Amino acid sequence: MTVQLKAAPSCAAVSGYMTDNEDSATDEKRWAILMASAQAGNEEDYRTLLTELSRAIKHYLLSRIGSQHFIEDCVQDTLIAVHQARHTYDPRRRFRPWLFAIVRHKTIDTMRRQRSQQQLARQQEDILLQEHNTTEDLDSSITRGRLLDKLSPQHREVLTLTRFIGLSNAEAAAQLHISESAVKVRVHRAIGKLTRLMEADA
Amino acid sequence: MSRDTENLIASLSTGLKPVRSQLPVDLIALLWLASSAAFVMAITHLFGPLRPNALTQLATEPRFLLETVLGGVAISYTAVVAFRSAVPGAASKRSMLLAVSLIALWLANYGIGLAHPALEPSMLGKRDHCVFETLMFAVPPACMAFLLTRRLYPLKPVYSALLFSLVAGMLPALYMQLACMYAPLHIIQMHIIPGLLVMLAGGATAWLINWVKRRRSQS
Repeated sequence: MTVQLKAAPSCAAVSGYMTDNEDSATDEKRWAILMASAQAGNEEDYRTLLTELSRAIKHYLLSRIGSQHFIEDCVQDTLIAVHQARHTYDPRRRFRPWLFAIVRHKTIDTMRRQRSQQQLARQQEDILLQEHNTTEDLDSSITRGRLLDKLSPQHREVLTLTRFIGLSNAEAAAQLHISESAVKVRVHRAIGKLTRLMEADA
Repeated sequence: MSRDTENLIASLSTGLKPVRSQLPVDLIALLWLASSAAFVMAITHLFGPLRPNALTQLATEPRFLLETVLGGVAISYTAVVAFRSAVPGAASKRSMLLAVSLIALWLANYGIGLAHPALEPSMLGKRDHCVFETLMFAVPPACMAFLLTRRLYPLKPVYSALLFSLVAGMLPALYMQLACMYAPLHIIQMHIIPGLLVMLAGGATAWLINWVKRRRSQS
């Protein structure tokens, strides 16, 4: 059942949330209710919440670190972190400190990763130029691992492309003919599955 | 909002499963603290008795009582802050500072005690292996805290580990105040320093785990 809520604030209201106390209080209440509903498994409320959060996070980041090329990545990483941490939100506590602690952490994390990602990308370009392994070659060598064999073909494929060959999410998305965000979700689920398999195997 | 973000939101929300509501984090912390304290008391008694006059001294020596109570308060508050630090936005910098200050204030008592001890230093009740007991008795509570905080979402796992390992190390150190001989220098060397070593070991372990995770995600 969807929680009955007041109409979502307009984009302008959302984008001005940091300066307008009234909007902040409204957002705080709305988000807390939506998250409580999402914790109960309500998909629609969760979608609404994530949509509103993505706008708010983007505005938060734009206003603090300017228009950087990784802002969208940061927003997406934060949404994934919100998803992973949603069980830790206590409806008796305020929502904003919980959310923005994650936003800050993810922003710093992404900014740290940028440099190493750029260095890694350069190294990978060199390696890929030297080696002419196809996806199939690598996949066949990787599937020798029995835990990887237990993954679904989709999960194995996406792990092969992004974690073993080292393609970016965009490149993997292009190869797989799916969206970048779908690649991220698949990688997240594949690693989760692999972790569970490894724990069960220990 | 980009198309990718829209797709991500759709992916995350589709097939959403309910999550089990977490106990309030302060309650988790207090339950852990109570069970850890019970464990430390039980295992300490298993390995040897309390100092014969320890409970009488608690009742008759106000400064000794104050020192012990301050230790208990500092440890309890730090335990709560340690678990709060494993939930995004639940622990403020002020609360962390207060926790560390309370621990420092409690430990400063032993520094003062070198010149003006709360009790007349005595060898009565000395345990032969108190240093190892302090170290070993701290390990199960620290491991339990590690498992519990892992189920939360520590944004700074090393800080969280340092805090709960500090508490795990200081619990047996505090109880040794009653179970072992009383002499400030002995307490610092044989009880407090091993407790601090547990804190460092906990922080180092968390750092190592974090480092391995990062390396794996990068490679």
